[in-house]
Amino acid sequence: MTAPAEDLRAVAGTALAWVDSHRAGFALGEDALAVDGEVDLSWKPLGELAQVCATVTRLTDPADPLHARARGLLDFAWQETHEGALFLRLQRLEPFATYPLEVYAALAAAGLRHPAFEQAAAVVARTRGWRLTEQDPTRRLGVLRAEERCGVHPFGQAPPGLPQTWLGGLPEPWTFGRDAGYALTHVVFHLSDWGCDAAALPPDLVAYLSDWLPPWLDTCLEAGMWDLGGELLAVAAIVARTTGESVPAGDWGRLLAARGPAGEVPLDDRDLDEIGAAPGTDGDRYFLHHYHSTLMAAFAAVLAGARPAAERPAPAAAGRRPGGQGAPA
Amino acid sequence: MRPDQIVTDELTGIQAADIEAALDPVEADGVYRDSRQCAGLALLSGGGKLLLSPPTPRPKKG
Amino acid sequence: MEQSGTSTRLQAAVQDLASGVVSALRGGDHAHVVPPVGTDGEAGDLAPAAVRVLGADALLPGLLSRTPPDPAELAVFRKAFEAYPPRADAAPTVRWSHWAMARTLRRADPSSAEAPDEPDTAWLDGATWQVLTHQLAVLAPLALPGEDCAVSRLAEGRPVDVARGFVRAVRRRDWRQAAGAGRWLTLLPGVPETVGLDAGLDFVELMGGQDPLVALQVQAARRMRTGARG
Repeated sequence: MTAPAEDLRAVAGTALAWVDSHRAGFALGEDALAVDGEVDLSWKPLGELAQVCATVTRLTDPADPLHARARGLLDFAWQETHEGALFLRLQRLEPFATYPLEVYAALAAAGLRHPAFEQAAAVVARTRGWRLTEQDPTRRLGVLRAEERCGVHPFGQAPPGLPQTWLGGLPEPWTFGRDAGYALTHVVFHLSDWGCDAAALPPDLVAYLSDWLPPWLDTCLEAGMWDLGGELLAVAAIVARTTGESVPAGDWGRLLAARGPAGEVPLDDRDLDEIGAAPGTDGDRYFLHHYHSTLMAAFAAVLAGARPAAERPAPAAAGRRPGGQGAPA
Repeated sequence: MRPDQIVTDELTGIQAADIEAALDPVEADGVYRDSRQCAGLALLSGGGKLLLSPPTPRPKKG
Repeated sequence: MEQSGTSTRLQAAVQDLASGVVSALRGGDHAHVVPPVGTDGEAGDLAPAAVRVLGADALLPGLLSRTPPDPAELAVFRKAFEAYPPRADAAPTVRWSHWAMARTLRRADPSSAEAPDEPDTAWLDGATWQVLTHQLAVLAPLALPGEDCAVSRLAEGRPVDVARGFVRAVRRRDWRQAAGAGRWLTLLPGVPETVGLDAGLDFVELMGGQDPLVALQVQAARRMRTGARG
């Protein structure tokens, strides 16, 4: 396998180009505020687009074409929210929903802010009821980070719920499964500010992840779980910013081999016929089966390929465990 | 071939190749099926749509 | 995979033999794990071949409890060792398995010839952690407390890799590989505590223990782990 840093830049470029050419799929549509609107098909994809692009702009040089592409997509996303005004309207409709704040926080991470929404969100977030919203511990962590991003709390508090998450409890690694996998990747994303602050990961989590990411990646990719595989590659890249470990070239090779003709990455290895029961046109279904995995591939590739040299410790300092080194992965 | 091996093979039909195959097995195929979540009992989830939605597709063997 | 009738009968005989080893390891009777020479019927005929496949583990209960083997058992073991030497082009696992039998013979009966020179481990140089773990699991009979060889030294240099292989094997529901890797992990220094080996062995036994070859490795691992702590 060749030195992948350069290749991964190309991977990120291709993936973001596919995303850019499918902007329409991310558009909010008329039912974004409707009582029966499907938020998972409107606000969620837009928030994910914003989150990935925020990290891309923060980790790339302004002169980099990747940076320009991501900036353009952020501007598009911001326009879709009427420059943040829709968040305020959504909050009036569903004041105790957390998703508007979470999506907003992704845009705020890229510097796109709406002060009136932040003030309104802070009023609701002060209630006991908001703080006691029953959610998975991992989701709770994400909401806490979104509150920080929006100025509800100061940054950098030790997250109180971390030990309640799957990853934070350092479970037996062979109990890993799809749900545990998605929970753990998001804990890492939240703790590391979506890869921009890898040093914020506690050292015991870094050691744990270094030990067990290889078999999780290997088995997810063998099972054709490309979407989770991409998220795990992003986690591996975030961990590697601390440990200096090299890019898992073999795992990347398997993910890239699953790509479609324009560089898009499918969610899993189901045939499109099998997912044909979902509503909408063939194009809608194709988009829904690819957009998230493609975003994740771009995210992971930027994290792995655009590591600033200053952040990289000397490789000799890393990986000196009794084993686990010296053999191709 | 040793004389005692000839005797054994005549009796059982076991060849050295059978034994060596058993001692050098190829790796078994991986089998994957992820855990699912069942909605909490007596918990109305998604306005009752849950009961109408199609079953989660079964992940295939890897 | 299509199996010939011969190979199916051989596998069945190996399973029977492994069941006997498992009950002996659990503290039951182990006077007649191996059908003695002259046992009538197919069990007797197939015994040397089955012992050759199970390898050194056929005498594992006596080895772990430091009990001298039953002379009849020892005779079958010796017959299996002598009747099925590795062929010239045999795979490394076949050679090592035969070498492990020689070592066991020497331990069980000091009047036996000294074990021959060890085969080499060149085939594992630079092996990925996946291949390494699979091959070590096949060679689980070499994982014994206080016994040293080139394979065990190589495993000792890669504890994290073997632990990763264990996780992978459990994820793939390859219980035989998981059990063999778990047995190695009980011996290796430097295995990350987070692997949760005790719970892992229980889980592998729960999921795959109806296969005597899985149960054998789990039981061996437990016995070795208890011994190491005691």
